[in-house]
Amino acid sequence: MTEQSPPAQSSESSAPWSISLADVSVTYPNGTRALRNVSVDIGAGEIVSVVGLSGSGKSTLIRTINGLVTATSGTVTVGGHDVTSLRGRRLRELRGHIGMIFQGFNLADRVNVLNNVLVGRFAHTPTYRTLLGLTTAADKDLALQALDSVGMLEKVWTRASSLSGGQKQRVAIARALAQEPSIMLADEPVASLDPPTAHAVMGDLARINADRGLTVLINIHMMDLARQYANRMIGLRDGEVVYDGPAGTATDADFAQIYGRPVQTDDHSGSQR
Amino acid sequence: MTLTSAPRRAAATLPVPPSRAPATILAVVVGVIILIATAGLDIEWTELGDVPSRVVNYLQLMFADPNWDKLPRALFETWRSISMAWLGAIGCVVASIPLGMLAARGVGPTWLRYLLRGVFAIIRAVPEVIIALILLTVTGLTPFTGALALGIAGIGTQGKWVYETIESAQEGASEAVRAAGGNTLETTRWALWPAAAPALMSFALYRFELNIRMSAVLGLVGAGGIGSMLANYANFRAWDTVGMLLIVVVVITMCFDLISGSIRRRIMEGARPRGMDRSH
Amino acid sequence: MTERATAPLQLPERSRRRWPAVGATAAIGIFTVLTCLPAIGGVDVDFSALVRNWSNGATKVNQLLHPNFAFLPRTVSPMLETLAMAVAGAAFAAIVSIPLTLWAARPSNPNPVTRQLVRFIININRAVPDLVYATVLVAMLGVGTLPGFVTLFLFDLGVVVKLVSEAIDSSDHPYLESGQAAGGTQAQINKVTLLPQSWTLFANQWLYSLELNVRISAILGIVGAGGIGRLLDERRGFYMYGDVSVIILEILVVIVLIEACSTALRRRLR
Repeated sequence: MTEQSPPAQSSESSAPWSISLADVSVTYPNGTRALRNVSVDIGAGEIVSVVGLSGSGKSTLIRTINGLVTATSGTVTVGGHDVTSLRGRRLRELRGHIGMIFQGFNLADRVNVLNNVLVGRFAHTPTYRTLLGLTTAADKDLALQALDSVGMLEKVWTRASSLSGGQKQRVAIARALAQEPSIMLADEPVASLDPPTAHAVMGDLARINADRGLTVLINIHMMDLARQYANRMIGLRDGEVVYDGPAGTATDADFAQIYGRPVQTDDHSGSQR
Repeated sequence: MTLTSAPRRAAATLPVPPSRAPATILAVVVGVIILIATAGLDIEWTELGDVPSRVVNYLQLMFADPNWDKLPRALFETWRSISMAWLGAIGCVVASIPLGMLAARGVGPTWLRYLLRGVFAIIRAVPEVIIALILLTVTGLTPFTGALALGIAGIGTQGKWVYETIESAQEGASEAVRAAGGNTLETTRWALWPAAAPALMSFALYRFELNIRMSAVLGLVGAGGIGSMLANYANFRAWDTVGMLLIVVVVITMCFDLISGSIRRRIMEGARPRGMDRSH
Repeated sequence: MTERATAPLQLPERSRRRWPAVGATAAIGIFTVLTCLPAIGGVDVDFSALVRNWSNGATKVNQLLHPNFAFLPRTVSPMLETLAMAVAGAAFAAIVSIPLTLWAARPSNPNPVTRQLVRFIININRAVPDLVYATVLVAMLGVGTLPGFVTLFLFDLGVVVKLVSEAIDSSDHPYLESGQAAGGTQAQINKVTLLPQSWTLFANQWLYSLELNVRISAILGIVGAGGIGRLLDERRGFYMYGDVSVIILEILVVIVLIEACSTALRRRLR
């Protein structure tokens, strides 16, 4: 690979990045093989759902993209940068361009919403400034705009612990947006939410894809949501890709094949088919 | 404040930040108290700057070449301290188990319960060293009276642990024995004791750990043992011997903590799985 | 009891082995005997000496039961000194405890080398009893409040760092992963999320260490480290037991007051 420019310099416009996994395997120290020879190419600006049962390797797959899990073999290329070769500061800079939200929201409960969102500016802030509590006006501006875009601006001074589940996930999305990311990763973002809230959050993610053109990758196990909000679907079973195709036309038989069992009622989110 | 430079759109709808006045007032009050306390100390703060270098100097005197010639004597005195701690722990445990049981709800009469709890509370409130010191003035300064003082000074806390343990063990098991027609004594023997024994054993060992530290302290005020030896050599500024004694104290304390801690863990862990095995 | 005409019950074999209980009892017995042998350093268990001492001790007890309240004004200034040592020691320890605790806890310091190093130093620090510190420090720094202050500082550091870092270890920190995913350094994550999240753990232990300090600082004077304990030791040396009992009552009252304040403050922490 040719000499790459450091990720930080390509940050001004958050142009979407492509993702490419080439023959990626992950084996955990306890011997579990979470991913087996996965090769996937995702173009810039795509919205893709990753479907599979728990334990199928979805979470591992999404975490190899921002280096929270290091691939045991194979290469992960994100926006032209080889994630597997990056360490320390360079890796942190790269992560600054990849927003991520989680099933458990992963907010600091006793911290107010604004500071939770400012976590998204970490990679773009020198450590000493964070330690001294010196927030630049520009960073604060970005955080407030991100909150505004998910409709949470009036909660800016509230502690995260007093928000509802849906509000917490919105704050988490704002935290990711404050990074001005090129990719948005979502690991089971609606599994802890009730169906109407789940649809709202999925709608937010789809809107981010449509309005900002970001590449969006969503881990999800509910078939109806996967079909409705994504253009493309990747099915994982026992760490291997068993389906890769359009999401809207995926049949129940396709899901049965991914899940390795007949489709059940709780594979749906339960409202508004 | 910084909002003037924030974006117009966001600033227009931004809610007012909550008042920070209560937190600020609390911080100022705490800060003033600390400042007054610090200023009230009879310390030359300009001297504080060279305290670290002086301490480093003394640490070198103590630990660069500790005086190991006195080690046999130190071990002899250490055993004396451990003996005080052990006998004190036994005395404390033997006295606190019946007293603590009587102080538990539903075991002894109400007036006795309040009386015992009151005595425990008073003993707990006074620092153990002071209780021991008073007892030692009355009974004379010997290792035996030191052990006695440790036993009595610990009863406040130990008794509280006992009645709390008994009370938490009371639900369930004791009702079953009562329902089967058992009287108070039978309930205590067949329901309370089996349920509470592991925790009580563990507390007894913990008392021993605490007493190991306390016995060294009692030595400092003259009850004998490693503390007395340390106080003597510290008064003579025999730093190399003081260094050796400190090493002995630290190593012995850490060893006993480690041993006693692992036994305690086994007692508490062993208490549960074995019971579960029998249930199926 | 009703008689039953059935065959004797087939009991399954009793699985519980008896020897661990027997062995433990024997070990306790042997240990106890060894601690009673004066020849190897054990304690000379001598009840007759106790009885002999008790007869002249009874007069001392009688004096203790008659506190000399006229002495009270002279105790005020040493008591304030004691409280000043307690507060200053707790405050300085609180400041230093923050970075040390973050070093000693796994979620805030993934580096095992520095983490274990700090924990090891803290464990050594905790193995030295408070008054032993005071005795050695008085020898080093001279009689006065300075060795008392340093003793309390070191003692509190051990308490707070140990207890808070263990509490941090045993709680969940979901925000660590999001901080890492956002490209934050460990220091940034600690400052913005972990520290505010753990602040009540700290505050609780700081107050607890203040309570302990009041108890300890009252006795530090016995070895020459300033405060009310020095007066206590002096009066005891003069056999003025009426004064001694006033001092003890005063210590008791101050401790109960401080603990009541601390409990009230702690209840407000959430």
